[in-house]
Amino acid sequence: MPSIRRMIAAVQGLFRRRRLEAELDEELRFHLAMETEAQMRQGASREEAERRAMLQLGGLEPTKEAARSARAYRRLEVLGQDVRFALRLLRRNPGYATAVVVALALGIGANTAIFSVVRGVLLRDLPYREPGRLVVLHQRDRLTAEGGDQGFSVLDIEDLRRRNRSFSGLAEYHSMWFNLLGRTDPERVQTGVVSANFFGVLGTRALLGRTFSPEDDRPGAQPVLVLSHAYWQRSWGGDPAVIGKILEMNDHPHRVIGVLPPVPQYPDENDLWMPTSACPFRSDPHQMADRHSRGFSVFGRLAPGTTLAQARRDLAAIDRALTAEYPGDYPTGGYRADAVPLLTELTARARPTLWLLLATVLLVLLIVCANVANLQLARLSCREDEMGVRAALGAGRGRLLRQLLTESVILALLGAGLGVGVAAAMLRALVAFAARFTQRTGDIALDGWVLGFTIAIAVFAGLLSGTLPAVVASRGIAGALRAGGSGRPGDAGSLRLRAVLAGVQVAVSFLLLVSAGLTLRSIWKLQAVDAGFNSENVLALTIDLDWAHYKTPEQRRAFHRALLARAQTLPGVAAAAYSSNYPLDGIGRGTAGVRVEGRSATDADLPQAGFRVASKDVFKALGIHIERGRGFEDTDRDGAPRVAVLGHTLAMRLFGQGEPIGRRIAFGSQRPPDWHTVIGVIADVRDQALDQDPGDAFWVALDQNPALAGSLLLRSRRAPLALTAAMRAILRELDPRQPVGRVQTLETARSAALAAPRLTTILLSVFAALALAVTVIGLGGVVAFGVVRRTREIGIRMALGADRGAILAAVLREGLAAVGIGVAAGAAAALVMARIVARLLFGVPPTDPVTYFVVALLLLAVAALACLLPARRATAIQPSLALRAL
Amino acid sequence: MATEKEDLLHGTLDLLILRTLAVEPQHGWGIAQRIQQLSREVLSVTQGSLYPALYRLEEQGSIAADWGISENNRRAKFYRLTRAGRRQLERETESWERFAAAVGRVLRTA
Repeated sequence: MPSIRRMIAAVQGLFRRRRLEAELDEELRFHLAMETEAQMRQGASREEAERRAMLQLGGLEPTKEAARSARAYRRLEVLGQDVRFALRLLRRNPGYATAVVVALALGIGANTAIFSVVRGVLLRDLPYREPGRLVVLHQRDRLTAEGGDQGFSVLDIEDLRRRNRSFSGLAEYHSMWFNLLGRTDPERVQTGVVSANFFGVLGTRALLGRTFSPEDDRPGAQPVLVLSHAYWQRSWGGDPAVIGKILEMNDHPHRVIGVLPPVPQYPDENDLWMPTSACPFRSDPHQMADRHSRGFSVFGRLAPGTTLAQARRDLAAIDRALTAEYPGDYPTGGYRADAVPLLTELTARARPTLWLLLATVLLVLLIVCANVANLQLARLSCREDEMGVRAALGAGRGRLLRQLLTESVILALLGAGLGVGVAAAMLRALVAFAARFTQRTGDIALDGWVLGFTIAIAVFAGLLSGTLPAVVASRGIAGALRAGGSGRPGDAGSLRLRAVLAGVQVAVSFLLLVSAGLTLRSIWKLQAVDAGFNSENVLALTIDLDWAHYKTPEQRRAFHRALLARAQTLPGVAAAAYSSNYPLDGIGRGTAGVRVEGRSATDADLPQAGFRVASKDVFKALGIHIERGRGFEDTDRDGAPRVAVLGHTLAMRLFGQGEPIGRRIAFGSQRPPDWHTVIGVIADVRDQALDQDPGDAFWVALDQNPALAGSLLLRSRRAPLALTAAMRAILRELDPRQPVGRVQTLETARSAALAAPRLTTILLSVFAALALAVTVIGLGGVVAFGVVRRTREIGIRMALGADRGAILAAVLREGLAAVGIGVAAGAAAALVMARIVARLLFGVPPTDPVTYFVVALLLLAVAALACLLPARRATAIQPSLALRAL
Repeated sequence: MATEKEDLLHGTLDLLILRTLAVEPQHGWGIAQRIQQLSREVLSVTQGSLYPALYRLEEQGSIAADWGISENNRRAKFYRLTRAGRRQLERETESWERFAAAVGRVLRTA
């Protein structure tokens, strides 16, 4: 479409030029005819008359050429003059120019930097084929308010593939950690387990070798692996000879067949990829035949011509049909089927934060522009004589306006040049920041788009900060010409305008301070939130047992017992436990339906609760309060009655005010139910995320459910990290082939969980502080300018006996009126902006009156201070001096 | 390019064009004739300078042009003064008079 419009414009231009050309020709021919007639009237022959006429005109073509260039040159000349003049002026006022350029560089640089992140993360297409048609499928729970995604079972996926009419392909995905052997050290690798068509659906080709073929995914096929680009670089040094290498995993040899290009991964950063047939968990016959065993993800590519809405309706219809056909395997009412674009899913967490930051920096730039406009106005009142002279010498009003705009746009472009440097310096830190929200940071760069944006906002900023002063100045010219008149450009009109600008600055500052204040309060709340555990002095070492070497429950039990026995005797250890999870470990919890003995319900209608497996002393190690009953003991071992501990919320949901201890519950779809006796109730623990409600949770005993994956938790009496070396040595003694995964203190995990909101808060606070500083300078400037302008008046009033206090009050009133109006407008705008901020807040309403009140107070106090300094100068005016200056 | 008649002082052609058009709208040839007549044949619009000046003034917005019918029934481009042009004329007349008076004073007293 735009190309057509451009063509039309080009053709029109062609016609216009042709028309002008024809007119010129006709006009000159008319001239020649008139002149010829005149000459003939004087007695010349026609030939002689034509010759003279042509001579007099100076030739047809040279005249045409001169006329043409007079028109074209005029335009170029104007621009050239303006630019030269502007540069000369700026050279003459280096202080002013530097102040403006630096202010604009900060404003524009911040915009460039934030926009480069917005563009790289949110706006750029994913590096897949037709990325807009890629979606992630969900089956959401109707029971819980949050609508947690239950994922899909193998049978669900088969049915979806058979029945859908909306997708050209559906790919299965899940991710697991495995131990990789066959190299010098055993290695923990995160492995994406996918159907053979996964990379085909995404539209990603291998960088080296190939991706999976349907043969690779047949049951019993030789296991094969594809390496992610990052892992290949990190662990293999980018060696192409990796193709064809045989690596040992899960007790089987796996052949490396390909390396992927660097593409963003979702939802996990996998090191390796394998087909579903190679995953011991996924290819288990029970797993494959159990419609109830959900948790796999599905990616889809919309078929050509199918819209997202159609696909959603299609999925909902399939879910309804399946719910009707297999009533026991779907909850009453079915799941809520959904499809979400991959880009939306990939950037969901980053989106509100990034848009808020972009809005913030744009507002900061607005404030900077207002300040520059104010500076220009002040300077223009000094240049009124120059303007008057130039107007008198024939410069049109439009010409003067253009001149002033050229000046401010040049300043803004200089600022932009410097701003790109500012942005480049900020970029690395911003990429690290963005990485806390999204996997999609590889595409953040200062590319052509970003630079285009920079130039666009620079020109916009230049026009914005130049227009008002230019209009005022060109309007004031008439007054300036009337010699000695009081109608100077720096007078009433411009002063009122400057007060309005200051008011706008105050309003925008209020907005920014409120959003910074709200996030600040939110992070304080988050830091102080009772997470239900005590993170001090706890060390967590992730030790995931190798599935191939610990196949039987007995083997695992023996390892757990030996490990805990050794750990407990380490000097300095107050409590040691092994648990499938620890708070804020970033690993998803398994969930299971909870059945209460004596109550009937279909499997699918059981309330889902997250479960953890843990040994004795886990609550002591984590500092979790036991509300009733007891925690796990050594007696809760294999063979003894099976036991469970409930989280507070689940206990309330299942038993309300009744006594939970001694009741029996069972999990999942086991037949007959495997009853566990409730032995205790613990306080709720926010162990997935600090800002997330704890939800339903229960714990079972490690010895009765020997888990493969988990972490050793050590509550220490001193610095917990000091225990690491000793613990590693013990582990090497127990099993030299067993790698240790992540080692961190719980305190580290907790502060990492707070890092993203903390960084957002810091950025917002820095921008708000910048806005406040610029506003205060602007406001002070306005008041000071008013005082200077009224020096004579104040002098007279004081000579006539006006009280200094009254003068002070009058000057202050002028400045604070702008502040008052600004605060009111800012509060109204903040209520709107708070809706965006609301999504980032924890425990603070977006209309939090405390924040608004404190911000208003802060602004008023700072503004009063900014007004007070010039106001005091007003009271120090010596009447005699002021009057003599008359 | 010397002629028997006086060359126009640089910049004064614009002024003269504006002054001519202040009376009534006129086409290019008419403007040249008018200047020559009014200056009693002293001033002549030099070769090739009239039309560039007209186009420059038009681009600048001091004058505007419409097509009309000339006294001898031909299609001709008539120029007229715009409001901006009228202001420019006032200003330039004033500064020209100051200039001329100043030069006159110098010539008389020096």
